[in-house]
Amino acid sequence: MIAPLALIGLLSLPVIVAFYMLRLRRRDVPVGSTFLWQQLVRDVEANAPWQRLRFSWLLLVQLLIAAIVVAAAARPFTATVSDLAANVVLIVDTSASMATRTADEDRMADARARARGVVERLPEGGRVTVVAAADSASVLVSETDDRAAALEAIDGIQSTELPGDLTDAFALASALASRDSDSTVVVVTDASGDELPQAGVEAPVLVELVGTTDANQSIAALSVVRRAGGAQLDLFAAVANPSAAEATRRLEVYADDTLVDARELTIPAGQRSEVLVGTVPAAAGFVEARLAGSDALATDDRAYAIVPAETATRALLVGPGNPYLENALALLPRLELFAVGEAGFADAMAEAEEAGTPYGMLVFDGVLPDEDPRIPSLYIDPPADGPSGAVTGRLDRPVIDRPDPDEPLLRFVDLTSVHVGRARQIEPSDGVRGIVLTPRGAPLVGVGEDAGRRLAFIGFDLAESDLPLQVAFPLLVSNLVDFLVASEEGVLPSSMRLGQSIAVRVDDRLDRVRMNVRLAVGDGYDVELAVADGRLTLPGADAVGMRSVIAVSEEDDLNSVELGRTAVNLFSPDESDVGPGDPQRIVDMGRVPADEGPPPQAARSEWWWPLVLAALTLLAIEWLLFHRPSRQRLARALGRRPQPLAGRAR
Amino acid sequence: MTATERAAFFDEAFLRRLEQLELASRRLTAGRMKGERRSVRRGQSVEFADYRTYASGDDLRQLDWNAYARLERLFVKLFVEEEDVTVHLLVDASRSMDYGEPNKLEAARRAAAALGYLGLASMDRVSAAFLGDGRATAMRPVRGKQRAHELFAFLSQPRDDRLTGLAAAARAYAGRMRGTGPLVLISDLMDPGYLDALRDLAGTRSQLSVLHLLAPDELEPEVPPDARLVDLETGNPVEVSGDDDLVERYRSRLADWQAEIAAFVSRRGGAYVPVSSDIELADLLFDVLRRRRVVE
Repeated sequence: MIAPLALIGLLSLPVIVAFYMLRLRRRDVPVGSTFLWQQLVRDVEANAPWQRLRFSWLLLVQLLIAAIVVAAAARPFTATVSDLAANVVLIVDTSASMATRTADEDRMADARARARGVVERLPEGGRVTVVAAADSASVLVSETDDRAAALEAIDGIQSTELPGDLTDAFALASALASRDSDSTVVVVTDASGDELPQAGVEAPVLVELVGTTDANQSIAALSVVRRAGGAQLDLFAAVANPSAAEATRRLEVYADDTLVDARELTIPAGQRSEVLVGTVPAAAGFVEARLAGSDALATDDRAYAIVPAETATRALLVGPGNPYLENALALLPRLELFAVGEAGFADAMAEAEEAGTPYGMLVFDGVLPDEDPRIPSLYIDPPADGPSGAVTGRLDRPVIDRPDPDEPLLRFVDLTSVHVGRARQIEPSDGVRGIVLTPRGAPLVGVGEDAGRRLAFIGFDLAESDLPLQVAFPLLVSNLVDFLVASEEGVLPSSMRLGQSIAVRVDDRLDRVRMNVRLAVGDGYDVELAVADGRLTLPGADAVGMRSVIAVSEEDDLNSVELGRTAVNLFSPDESDVGPGDPQRIVDMGRVPADEGPPPQAARSEWWWPLVLAALTLLAIEWLLFHRPSRQRLARALGRRPQPLAGRAR
Repeated sequence: MTATERAAFFDEAFLRRLEQLELASRRLTAGRMKGERRSVRRGQSVEFADYRTYASGDDLRQLDWNAYARLERLFVKLFVEEEDVTVHLLVDASRSMDYGEPNKLEAARRAAAALGYLGLASMDRVSAAFLGDGRATAMRPVRGKQRAHELFAFLSQPRDDRLTGLAAAARAYAGRMRGTGPLVLISDLMDPGYLDALRDLAGTRSQLSVLHLLAPDELEPEVPPDARLVDLETGNPVEVSGDDDLVERYRSRLADWQAEIAAFVSRRGGAYVPVSSDIELADLLFDVLRRRRVVE
């Protein structure tokens, strides 16, 4: 017993018996007449302080309750062996996929139950740190040996709509494990593709895997572009079915909350279905796509997109002329493309300035201007040192290394079959980074900022590669243009990822703004944000929906002006693939294999709760016994009367 | 009798059902053929009293053919009975009767009213009295249905009697009662002098019927574990521990007591009817009392 002193409470048993023997103050009960009663109790000893102890079920039940409560308070246990170290870091995954809920499964509840099991398995004197991890980690209790506090913290854990990233959680676990070699890291997760850090942990990592179902479909992409000079909107939506069974879902498209399109999509297992919708009204402000019905994960069944403004950016292509490049640029609806030779560059810039229609983007194909115009620019095959970097030599037949799969500018860009004959060796300027590299790290394509201006470079002549002949080329150009001419609705980007925070510049006269949050599920809300020196920081969104920022000012021309709005979506293939993943890559984070971890330690398995359950049951029995007369009265009132004597006489 | 006065106890439909019954008077009708009291005596009186719907067995000579010609329904003319049959209804009004759910005194008032109406409908003289505090408070005897309101008004009077004094009250009533016939005592008999009272009432040559009226929780007592039972009449307390054993002994004592009363009444040619105050009046009249031949 953990608390044997509690057995002192057994002294209450004789006290209870004494109470039964003591003639207590009795309750007055009026009766019509005591005529019959008087004859029954003549033999009872009157007015004596003590009476003979008679058998009573109530007494028996009360003695049992007291004994059980005392036994439970003494916290009995049986000795067991724990597979955990004395110091346990318990990481509970709360990423979006953990919100999976079906008729048979509540993944977060299962995770909490597993986490509780871990705490209950702690060895004697064991400490636990409970960490909830979505896109970042938050420590709920730190290195506590108070199991009740840990269990309370676990009970409060809820799933989020955020993509999973265990980097922070493992960094924390690593720090804790480095302080105490007798550590175990336990991760309660569905292993559905959460981000993991490069570095491991100097402790065994155990995984409590939760999740069974994979029956989920998601809206994997949603975007709106303007065609035909802005008069027509094309909506592109992709619905993914990462489950192992074919699914048929109804995709509904709303423009400004009005249904404009609905269609049934049959998506094979593991595939995605893409649709183009041309019925979105040109005047729409935003669109929402919904998957009707329900599946395992609700977060990814809705997505939003802001409809781009009708204005197109004027872009000037400077160079000898490259039809592939011109076509790729001209295809982009956001650009109004002009072209000029190197000699006419200065005049073109002057004319545009004079006409009040300056260019918003420049493309230099094999040339460099004498004076940099401080406009977002794409430099292709720069002949000399320029804003993108210094040209330090030539690279013959450079090989393209496998690119970072998470690089957003290379989304859908497959460079595996691209060959380059010669390229310039470029030393990127400060603020510029390579996104396509050779195995030795020489940048072939790069992006960056130079004093607040965005720029990009392609470090080879397009004519000396087969890139323009590949499908990847228009996509790469489109992505680079997106980077250079950020698609912004006001001060905000048109879309943001869940959890992503952003800092933007607003009017210097503002000291606060109101952010209106519209949620896909649940009521929206308004929140006021402070602006410091014209700089506004939007906190990371924690739910799918739309956000708009509205100025709050005492100046009439500024007050209530919508500064911008953005769509917040999940768009995470990993989170939407809710089927439990392979936990091995998480287990492999532990540099110490589980079987080489600390030896099994003594643990206690407490079993006071069955005693409490028994006590409660007995308490209910006592209540029933005590109130038996009341129940009889109630039964009579309800019509089940006892047989009257008159009835017996019949 | 106005509808309002009747409604205090019964509704019209119930009264019509009551008229099908009649109080049994074995002593008065001794030597007569059964069913003879259902019609008035021939040639004994010319005083018209009331009409009654014809029933099989009625004397056809008493049919009102004029009424039949007008209404095409058969009615029997009722005349005042020459032989003076008086129905005596004694209601115990002590404080012990003002107890129980349903209240015993209220149940007793209703039972007395119903039995009294039977008597009035049969052209019997009806007298009612409350017994309490050693006295009998009686009403002037009445006859005929049209006097029912007087009976109901009397039975509706509020009572504030405290003690029964059953023996003294019964003796007082027996000493001044006029006319014989059915005598119905409605009481819980919770009085030490209950046997004396029954003896006195049985000695009046009346047909004694005792409706022993007890509340449901007097038949099936529900006593808390540690209780002090306070007598409503005397205020005397009795301390009990309400365990199963005590309740069982109470039941046994109650059964013995009822058997003792039943034997006592039976020896004197009376009828003993133990009744719970929650019994429906219709059940009491049309079933229980009929079986016990108190009414027929």
